[in-house]
Amino acid sequence: MAKDPVRVLVTGAAGQIGYALVPMIARGIMLGPDQPVILHVLDIPPAAEALNGVKMELVDAAFPLLKGVVATTNVVEACTGVNVAVMVGGFPRKEGMERKDVMSKNVSIYKSQASALEKHAAANCKVLVVANPANTNALILKEYAPSIPEKNITCLTRLDHNRALGQISEKLNVQVSDVKNVIIWGNHSSTQYPDVTHATVTTPAGEKSVPELVKDDEWLKSGFISTVQQRGAAIIKARKLSSALSAASSACDHIRDWVCGTPEGTWVSMGVYSDGSYSVPVGLIYSFPVTCRNGEWTIVQGLSIDEFSRKKLDLTAEELTEEKNLAYSCLSVDEPSSPQLKTTSRKRKRKSVDIIEQFNAKMAQVLELKEKKLEMDILYKDTSKWILKLLNFIKNVVP
Amino acid sequence: METLELIQKLVVVLVCLYLSWRIFRYIWSFVDVEKDPLVVLVTGAAGQVGYALVPMIAGGSMLGLDQPIILHMLDIEPAAEILKGVKMELMDGAFPLLKGVIATTDVIEACKGVDIAIMLGGFPRRKGDSKDLIFRNVGIYKAQASALEEHADSNCKVLVVAHPANTNALILKEFAPSIPDENITSLTRLDHNRALNQISENLNVHVDDVKNVIIWGNHSSYVYPDANHATVDIGAGLKPVRELIADDQWLNTEFITNVQQRGQAIIKSRRLSSALSTASAACDHMRDWILGTPKGTWVSMGVYSDGSYGIQPGLIYSFPVTCEKGEWSIVQGLKIDEFAREKMDAVAKELMEEKTVAYS
Repeated sequence: MAKDPVRVLVTGAAGQIGYALVPMIARGIMLGPDQPVILHVLDIPPAAEALNGVKMELVDAAFPLLKGVVATTNVVEACTGVNVAVMVGGFPRKEGMERKDVMSKNVSIYKSQASALEKHAAANCKVLVVANPANTNALILKEYAPSIPEKNITCLTRLDHNRALGQISEKLNVQVSDVKNVIIWGNHSSTQYPDVTHATVTTPAGEKSVPELVKDDEWLKSGFISTVQQRGAAIIKARKLSSALSAASSACDHIRDWVCGTPEGTWVSMGVYSDGSYSVPVGLIYSFPVTCRNGEWTIVQGLSIDEFSRKKLDLTAEELTEEKNLAYSCLSVDEPSSPQLKTTSRKRKRKSVDIIEQFNAKMAQVLELKEKKLEMDILYKDTSKWILKLLNFIKNVVP
Repeated sequence: METLELIQKLVVVLVCLYLSWRIFRYIWSFVDVEKDPLVVLVTGAAGQVGYALVPMIAGGSMLGLDQPIILHMLDIEPAAEILKGVKMELMDGAFPLLKGVIATTDVIEACKGVDIAIMLGGFPRRKGDSKDLIFRNVGIYKAQASALEEHADSNCKVLVVAHPANTNALILKEFAPSIPDENITSLTRLDHNRALNQISENLNVHVDDVKNVIIWGNHSSYVYPDANHATVDIGAGLKPVRELIADDQWLNTEFITNVQQRGQAIIKSRRLSSALSTASAACDHMRDWILGTPKGTWVSMGVYSDGSYGIQPGLIYSFPVTCEKGEWSIVQGLKIDEFAREKMDAVAKELMEEKTVAYS
């Protein structure tokens, strides 16, 4: 019996990552070789022609699992009835651009897509945000789509997870499929922390811990971390384009493990809504080690965190909080549309009034001090005159 | 009676043997014996089609989910950095089937021990005619032919994709005489899939239910998609497409031009060549060749002509083929009407012309 088709939305589908991703979805790599899919592909009006070309190619490829393609620039049409949403659409990162530059452009995009998803997507829609800054875009999406359950909004850190697995497998000269249980903590950015303390390699003699096998803590704490953190930039340097292939592949891995479950004894990294585990602030989209079962993820609890790791975890949490504040400040520049935002801007207005008052008070203090200083100067001058007179007198008296 | 007893005993013994065999097979299927990895070469891997193709290969879409792969990627010097980037991405993809990646600009290193070669490398097709590409590509294919002949596996299967595919494949064959003729093919599966799609759109059925179109000849603007023997599965059996469409006019004109010019239409929309569908068609071609076509279905492959259907031998011409145990055979005995005959000969003529141009 053929399963009912699942509707998968890919935003930004006319771009590089979309082009690599849609054939993977249509071939069943994302949801399994027996799961029919209907693809919804969305992009902005300037890309409408290219999007149409992608649709033509998808139908030309005669994929047996692909039961339909809806190519549109209308966000409502794209979101209707969607079961899985992969948000690739956003401002792309180019050579030399910092992620923060990209932030403000993306925040407004995610605001509008959030409301469309909330109103038109299927009830238990699972969302994966890929476009950078992934964690913060996901947070914005969550804020503006309050009726989508928090646990259904995730961001992609599987790419870094796979990159870390790749680095370990290269270092130890083993097959990447034998390495597992690395963890990516935090933000999909240069503060991410790839943690191998609990990673293992499957050898013929059983599972061995990675730090034991590598025997090079120095490398694990520096070279390894920076390689994984900067892999994205390295690929942009080589290809002159962002890493579409591996991003698409890891997006498929992320959704597949989420929907179909992780293998026994293995966990993966997903950017999920923080519930305070491992002392990470609540209210961030933070990457944790998770296992998945029956379409739901659960954070792996009870892993030991050493001091070095603790610092790293806190560092990336800090960056995420900064990004969150930056994102909200970008939003408050626009007209507040939702009641949530109205109260926030009022609070902020009050805050800024407070700040101005404080500033005025401080200025008054400074002026006072300046006056006092002048008085002291005059006094000093007078005093020194008297002292000089005294000295002269003494000189004259004492022969 | 003694004989009866004997027979009974024999039957019991046979049944026991049979059941033991079945048990043994069942247990054996749990033993995870991994297949030996196959070496797959992709030339022109730094380009558009290569970028779409390599994840499909590494993900098991080409050779099956239980076939480990070692990828050899080849491209020219100017693309060396980009090729390195592609290799990095493949490593980052953590593909369980990918047992190794070699990214090189050295054609000999690339061809060593290769079991399957997909030749994407060649000058890309832009808006316009494909004839002027012939000259540029002859030199490339000559060099790659000798490298393949000397270093690839003796039963290496070759698929030529780069335009003009049929003639490039012919050049390859000429300069690699020790590779068996039947191992050199060119891609017409893309047109085949496009034709299937045109029919499915016209009849509003799923493309999966349409089969057995034929692409005759050359992958060019003279390609002849033939729906005379195509069928559609409408749930109550197979119906011929001609009957269901009931519009011979459309089948003889628009349908043909749609398929012929689909490539141009996609270039017009995307401003780039059709990488995704080409890569997918290449995967389908190889997969059906090696793993076999389903029963009752044939596919289109550009293969070395042996004179079937009155096409002169010595050309790489697209025929309807079925595949079994890694070998293709042309489907014989299909009726060719006058209209089709004309078209097929026109394409053969074009191929002869290309061949002459290439040899000059």
